[in-house]
Amino acid sequence: MASRSAVKYILRRLIFLFITYVVATTIVFILPRAIPGNPLSQILSNLSRVAQSNPEAIRAAEKNLMEEFGLGKPWYLQYVEFIGKALKGDLGTSITYYPRKVMDLIVPVIPWTLVLILPATIVAWILGNSLGALAAYRRNTWIDKGVLTGSLVVSQIPYYWLGMIFIFFFGVKLGWLPVQGAYSQGTIPDLSWAFFMDALKHYILPFLSIVVSAMGGWAIGMRLMVIYELGSDYANFSEYIGMKDKRIFRYVFRNSLLPQVTGLALSLGSVLGGALITEIVFNYPGTGYLLFKALTTLDYPLIQGVFVILIASVYLANFIVDFVYALIDPRIRIGQEE
Amino acid sequence: MENVLLKAENLRAYYKLEKVSVKAVDGLSFEIYEDEVVGVVGESGCGKTTLSNVIFMNMVKPLTLVGGKIFLKVNGSFEEISALSRDEVKEKFWGKEMTIIPQSAMNALMPTIKMERYVQHLAESHGLDARELIDKTLQRFKEVGLETSWLKRYPFELSGGMRQRAVIAVSTILNPSLLVADEPTSALDVVNQKVFLKVLMSLKRRGIVKSIILITHDIATVRQIADRMIIMYAGKIVELSPIDELLEKPLHPYTEGLLNSVLTPEPEVKKRGIVTIPGAPPNLIDPPSGCRFHPRCPHMMDVCKEKEPPLVEIEPGRRVACFLYAGERT
Amino acid sequence: MFLTMIKPLFKNKKFIIGFSIFIIFLLMGFLGPVFYRVDPTEMTWDYEQPPSPSHPLGTDTYGRDILAQLFHGIRSSLYIGFLAAIISLVIGTFIGTLSAVKRGLVDDTLMAVTNIVLTTPSILIAILIASYLKVRSIEIVALILGLFQWPWFARAIRAQLMSVMSREYVNLSIMAGYSDLRLIFEDLIPTIATYAFMSFVLFINGGIMGEAGLSLIGLGPTRGISLGIMLQWAVLMEAVRRGMWWWFVPPGLSIVAITASLLVISTAMDEVFNPRLREE
Repeated sequence: MASRSAVKYILRRLIFLFITYVVATTIVFILPRAIPGNPLSQILSNLSRVAQSNPEAIRAAEKNLMEEFGLGKPWYLQYVEFIGKALKGDLGTSITYYPRKVMDLIVPVIPWTLVLILPATIVAWILGNSLGALAAYRRNTWIDKGVLTGSLVVSQIPYYWLGMIFIFFFGVKLGWLPVQGAYSQGTIPDLSWAFFMDALKHYILPFLSIVVSAMGGWAIGMRLMVIYELGSDYANFSEYIGMKDKRIFRYVFRNSLLPQVTGLALSLGSVLGGALITEIVFNYPGTGYLLFKALTTLDYPLIQGVFVILIASVYLANFIVDFVYALIDPRIRIGQEE
Repeated sequence: MENVLLKAENLRAYYKLEKVSVKAVDGLSFEIYEDEVVGVVGESGCGKTTLSNVIFMNMVKPLTLVGGKIFLKVNGSFEEISALSRDEVKEKFWGKEMTIIPQSAMNALMPTIKMERYVQHLAESHGLDARELIDKTLQRFKEVGLETSWLKRYPFELSGGMRQRAVIAVSTILNPSLLVADEPTSALDVVNQKVFLKVLMSLKRRGIVKSIILITHDIATVRQIADRMIIMYAGKIVELSPIDELLEKPLHPYTEGLLNSVLTPEPEVKKRGIVTIPGAPPNLIDPPSGCRFHPRCPHMMDVCKEKEPPLVEIEPGRRVACFLYAGERT
Repeated sequence: MFLTMIKPLFKNKKFIIGFSIFIIFLLMGFLGPVFYRVDPTEMTWDYEQPPSPSHPLGTDTYGRDILAQLFHGIRSSLYIGFLAAIISLVIGTFIGTLSAVKRGLVDDTLMAVTNIVLTTPSILIAILIASYLKVRSIEIVALILGLFQWPWFARAIRAQLMSVMSREYVNLSIMAGYSDLRLIFEDLIPTIATYAFMSFVLFINGGIMGEAGLSLIGLGPTRGISLGIMLQWAVLMEAVRRGMWWWFVPPGLSIVAITASLLVISTAMDEVFNPRLREE
């Protein structure tokens, strides 16, 4: 009985996210076909740029493109084909990097993005929430005022601009850390200790810029949550029957954190967006950088592919967060009376 | 003084805001005897909830104790709790000697842990053996009519009325002598109200709590269980009296209005309650001069505007603050 | 009545600080280009110069004056922000009110759509749409951004209206047989006005930040100068790694100052109009 309600919740979220994903991929599919001026003709004219360096490639690419976009066929057949191929992991062929498959281009860059975004987001979430809780606990002291003012400003700093400032200050001015890339140019990624240290050095600045600018928002939200919960009925009652302050604060912290977990799920999209641009600023070889390359060369199959993958990963992460939430909140795990 | 449990002398507690003070409790003197139920009645905004905070010394800025003393009998001798800080009173007496059933008792239990864990934490906080306290809670659960297995549940798995009883069980687990219930029945339906009052009385009968202060705007609830009543108006006590005499012959014009509004037969009027007293309660930043009730009083005299009527005993056990009885001192 | 409503705001320290900073930038955007009459696109031989009396904020790779760019950039960014905010506000209010007033199937459908848009990583979809548009005017960019930030507002409006509508006086209007439209305008809109205004302020932030993000990936407005476009140029020309701080610091700082001041204004308004937070 207890688990049934949790399963129901998870299933509901799963179905919802699946529908949303279908809608999102449909948009990805429809856009190039619906926007006036037919981007496909743009692609073809774009091909000639590539063709200058690789004359015989153009004909093959052109043929390939016509096939992949299924031009000439009715749109619903095109759609079914698109979905069918996508499910098999075939996202078409890149134009810029012809004849490499889109999937083969995306797969190697994903780990770099994950390694950057996941730890940075989690660290920012933990630090931000702790700071916010601390500020609320020391309400109206200088700690609170400092955290609040700092967070208000910091939360409005775009990741990428903070990245620029960090590069300029720590990289260019002080020369402490490398200013671009994920590892030194000329080295080949391997599992050696030297490479790890080199990558770590390159990792610090982009990581910090995401952590610092993402922290502020969490701190502001958590502070408000905790202040609200500190005035809640259970906190007051616990005090009246002589519960120790420390324990009450742990209750409040726990209950304030729950909505922040949901907040994490909702913010994932914009976190990803910000992080992608940060990659561009740092020339960091992740998904954002690949997308940037694809956008500047108008490599539509690659753009489309990157989006299918990115949106899917946002929903996957969303689902994982939902799942965790269902595990930690008994009101969902067991199901509420009312 | 022998069987007094709590004594308040000229209590004054204001909400001190930047430029003004809200005089929510302004010169209250009364005592609560052992083994009695006292109802504190008044319109919302008359300072009765503030009074419960003051009794507990729960002074959270901007609420400030401006003057007066509170004594609580602990182990046979009186402690002047108004001389202690909030933290000291909390540490020494809350939960052990005095406890509260808050206005929204339904949401008073920590929602995301099982009640058993909650009791464990309570034992830790008071330095008691967790096992013993849980056994005691189980016993108390039975007494208030809850199944013992429910202690292993989360609060949200119980219905509203059950949750309220669980709160009573938990709040009285350390046998505090004084229990304050603040508008405890306002969120309950009639059946659950009855059950709740019964449980409250049985706790007193068993000697788990000595005395109960019931704070409410609803005279109908109080009269079912109270021995004495304190009528508050605009931060002051206007009348203090044993319940039967008060119901039979209210002395203060405000009490009279309050009773009429409840006892009038027409259900329409009854439902609207005390609205039948013309006018609205005054703001407590700048209360009316003299008797604070004079702008709404049907028997207003000139003296009422100028001088404040003292609370004087005019019959044994009956005190009233009104110039109508100026000549009747005993 | 409007004045008495506004008055307590000017007693709030936070509000005064935020408001002053915002006004300064607003004036820079409006009056800057009027008084500082330097063409931000004019190329000179004074390229990549640090700040000097002739170029108070230096020049970029093509010798264009950064201060002139900044004034125009602030103007365009504010314009985009306002435009995006208006679009979001209109969509959000429309969907939220319709949902709350009509209930039933209309409500279910609209809320399903709202939730889908809410969960969709909007910045990604915005990037995608922008990438297919060859020409992007400032208005188009604002539209793309405005299309995606309304969902949480629509949900909040709906919730607020539902609670307002359960109150007595609205029932009276319904009983009196007023039309839905009259109900919306006379009873409901006034109650959500402050909330809407606060959200509007945050939408402006969303628009300004969104524009900067789009521009950095090269998908900003194709004509005109915005703060994001300035940053994009700086990144393209490697201004950061070549130490030209006067190029990328001012536009970024302006974004932070404008959005942070708006956020402070919004929080201060929340404190003044929803005293719940001040209580204890």
